[in-house]
Amino acid sequence: MTTVQPAPAKPDEDVSSITEAITRSRWAPFRSLIITVLNLTVFFTIWQLIALAEVINPLFFPKATAMFSAIYTGFADGIIGPELWHSVQNFTIGLIIASVIGIPLGLLMGGVRIVDLILSPYVWAMAALPRVALIPLLILILGFGNSMQLTIIVLSAVFPMMVNCMEGVKTVDPSLIRAGRVFGANGPQMYFKVILPFTLPFVISGINQGIARGLVGMLIGELLGGGGEGLGFLLDRAGDQFDAPMLYGTLLILAVLSVGLVQGMRWVERRAAPWRDQSRV
Amino acid sequence: MTQAVPSITDPALLGDGGTLTGRKPLIEIRNVSAGYENKRAKTRLIALRDVTLEVYPGEFLAIVGPSGCGKTTLINMIAGFMKPLEGTITVRGEKVDGPSADRAMVFQDYAVLPWRTVYNNVKFALENRRPRPNKDELATRIAKVLAMVGLSGFEQSYPYELSGGMRQRVGIARALVSDPEILLMDEPFGAVDAMTREAMQAEFEKIIAETGQTVFFITHSIDEAVALADRVVVVSSRPGHIKEIVDIDLPRSRFAEGVKSNPRFGELREHIWGLLQAEALGAKIGGAGV
Repeated sequence: MTTVQPAPAKPDEDVSSITEAITRSRWAPFRSLIITVLNLTVFFTIWQLIALAEVINPLFFPKATAMFSAIYTGFADGIIGPELWHSVQNFTIGLIIASVIGIPLGLLMGGVRIVDLILSPYVWAMAALPRVALIPLLILILGFGNSMQLTIIVLSAVFPMMVNCMEGVKTVDPSLIRAGRVFGANGPQMYFKVILPFTLPFVISGINQGIARGLVGMLIGELLGGGGEGLGFLLDRAGDQFDAPMLYGTLLILAVLSVGLVQGMRWVERRAAPWRDQSRV
Repeated sequence: MTQAVPSITDPALLGDGGTLTGRKPLIEIRNVSAGYENKRAKTRLIALRDVTLEVYPGEFLAIVGPSGCGKTTLINMIAGFMKPLEGTITVRGEKVDGPSADRAMVFQDYAVLPWRTVYNNVKFALENRRPRPNKDELATRIAKVLAMVGLSGFEQSYPYELSGGMRQRVGIARALVSDPEILLMDEPFGAVDAMTREAMQAEFEKIIAETGQTVFFITHSIDEAVALADRVVVVSSRPGHIKEIVDIDLPRSRFAEGVKSNPRFGELREHIWGLLQAEALGAKIGGAGV
C-alpha cells in the first residue's frame, strides 16, 4: 500500500493495445437491412392475402398491389407529383420560418429572464393549444390560400422549437458555467463557447419535434383549409371518391416521408452531439 | 504570465508550515461569514461563521471537514463566485471581486467541456483573456502541461472517451496551463476510484513541487489532507468555523518515501480524526443534511 505506481500510461502503446480488431460476419453490416426487407415483405404479403380473401370490404381495404399500382400510375399521370411537391415545398418553407423565429427566441428566453417572463405565458398557451382549433380563425383572416397552410405549419412547428431551446439554455450544467467564469469567459464567450454548444442537442430535438408537429400542421391545413393542393388534398379527394388504393398510397407516401425525416434528424443528432450518448456516467 | 510575486517558488518555504509566520500572506480571509438566503422562509442559512485564515505563498493548504461545513462556500468566495455576508477576502491585498487570472480552479465533477477535445479543453484556459498567447506559444504550453499530467497522445480524444481519472487530469492541466498563482481545488479526487485516487495524489504532489503553485485544497478525506498539505485546516460544521489548524511536519516528497507508513502520518491522522469525530457525532444528533 505504501508504494505508488507511476500510473500515467505511455499513450503510444496504451492506445493501440486497448483497441483490437473485431471480426464479424460479412453479413453483419446488412443484417438490419435484410431484416427490414423481410419484415416488410411479410407484412405486405399478409396484407395482400387478407385483401384477396375479402374478409374486409375491399372498399375500405384494397389489395396491397392495387395500392402500389395506384402510386405508380399516380406518379406517371402527374397526379401525385405536383401535390407532393406542393406539400414538401410548403413544409420546408414553413419549417425554415419556424426555425428562424423559434430558435433565437427560445435561446433568448432561456438566457434573459425578463424576455422569459414576458413571453412564456403566450408560448406555453400556444404550445399547449391544439393547432386545429386555430383553423377557423386562420381561414377567416387569411382565406383558403397557401398563406393559411404555411401559417399553420409555422405555428405548429415554432413552439416546440422555442420550448426546447429555452429548456436547453436553462439546463446548462452550472459547473461548466463556473469553469467558464474561472477561465475568463466574458458574456459573449460564455454564450458561444459554453451555453450554445451545450444547448445544441436541445435545439436539434426541438427541430425534431417541430418536424413532427409541422407535418401534422401541414396535413390539417391541407385537409381542412380547402386549398385544393397538397398531399392532404389528395387524401381528402381520394376519400370522397372512394378511391381506397389512392388513399392508402398517399398514406404510405406520408409515412415514408415522416420516417425519413425523423431518421435523418436522429442521424444529425448523433453526429452533432456524440457526447450525449456516453458522457453521462 | 502573472508572476508578480517572485517568492512563490522559494524552496525554503515549501513543506514547512513553521517558517511561514511573519511572511506576507497571499490570501487573507478576515472574519468572513457566509450564508444562503431562503426567500420563502425569509431565513438565512449560515454556512460559515467568523472564519479568519491566511494562506501563504507557495503553501499547500487543505481544508477538511464534514459535508455541509461550508468548505465549498469558502472556495467559491475565494474563486469570486459569491461574496461574503460579512468580512473580507483579499488576494495580495486586493479585495476579491469576481474570478481572475491569478486563480484557477479544479472542480470535483471535472467541468470539462464535453464537445471539446482534450487539447481544446486545455486551450480554453488560455483563449479567453487578453493578451492571448500566439499559436506557437499556445501549442508549446499545452503540450508541456499535458505531458506533465500524463495525457500526451490523448490530445485529440474527447472527454467521453476517457475515464474519470483522466478527465480530471484534463481539469488539472487546464488549471495549470495559464500558470496561475493560486490553484483552487474543490475535492478534485473525490469522484475517482480509490486506486486512481492514490496514484493521482502522488503525481499531483510531484507536479506541484515542480510548478510551485499555492494550493487551496478541499477534501473530506483526512488521509488525502495529511498526505498532501503543509497545513490542514479542520472545519466544524453548522455553521462552519475553524476548529484547529494542524501543521503537517512530514518531509517531502512524501509519496516517494511512502508517507503512509510513517508513524507521524498515523499520529496526525488520528489527531484530526479525533477532532472530526466529536463533530460527526454532534452532526448526527443535530440531524438533517444540507
